[in-house]
Amino acid sequence: MIHCVCMVQEGQVSPGQEAELRRETSAFAARHFGAEPQINWVRIAKGNGFTEAKPSNSVIVSMNADRSLAPSAREPLLRELCEIWERSAGLSPNEVVTVIRDPQTQGG
Amino acid sequence: MPLYICNAKAGCVPEAAKARIAEDVTRIHCEVTGAPPTFVHVFFFEDGPNPPLADKQAVLYGQIRSGRDDAQKARIRQDMGASLATHCELSSDQFAVFTTDTPASWVMEGGDVLPEPGEEAAWLAAHEAKMAAQQDTAP
Repeated sequence: MIHCVCMVQEGQVSPGQEAELRRETSAFAARHFGAEPQINWVRIAKGNGFTEAKPSNSVIVSMNADRSLAPSAREPLLRELCEIWERSAGLSPNEVVTVIRDPQTQGG
Repeated sequence: MPLYICNAKAGCVPEAAKARIAEDVTRIHCEVTGAPPTFVHVFFFEDGPNPPLADKQAVLYGQIRSGRDDAQKARIRQDMGASLATHCELSSDQFAVFTTDTPASWVMEGGDVLPEPGEEAAWLAAHEAKMAAQQDTAP
């Protein structure tokens, strides 16, 4: 099972963008990890997200892989996932955090 | 990364206290680890599923980069716990603070894989130079 947590700030992503992001993120997991992920979409309510102790514009997308990955294999996947979110949500690179975990690890 | 998630019972963390707790968490993490504040994310939830509250009023969970030693983690727990206790008026048995380690190589932020602990200054300099170059070449 591929788990994916997408943490977005309230109002940052429109419903249309969310649908596109879910579709693109699922396709990414299917393409690279062999299965569509179970996506947990989490909205951070206004006034509840901080980056650098200031109101946050960051999205955090955390997914587990289906296997252990070497750094040379993980980096292009992190970059591809980051680019999906930049493109589909209209975000800058500094607003996107992507995490790809080895299997059997906790965290969001 | 780090990502600190504060889950609390409804009303436990006053709205006005969230910014102050976020400031404390950011300052403490940076003082203890030497990480730049730009890396520090603090998100608040009320009655959320994670981290589980069990019998606590508030739980602060930090996903931090691997490589911090036990003394650093103990100070993070102690000082961030003190911030929660102060701003939320909680006794020590009403909250919990814990961290887990995530390898830096598992995380990309700003389009670059995060640096290992201790390599932040060089990473930031290279990252800022890259961002500036991209702005210069943008149409």
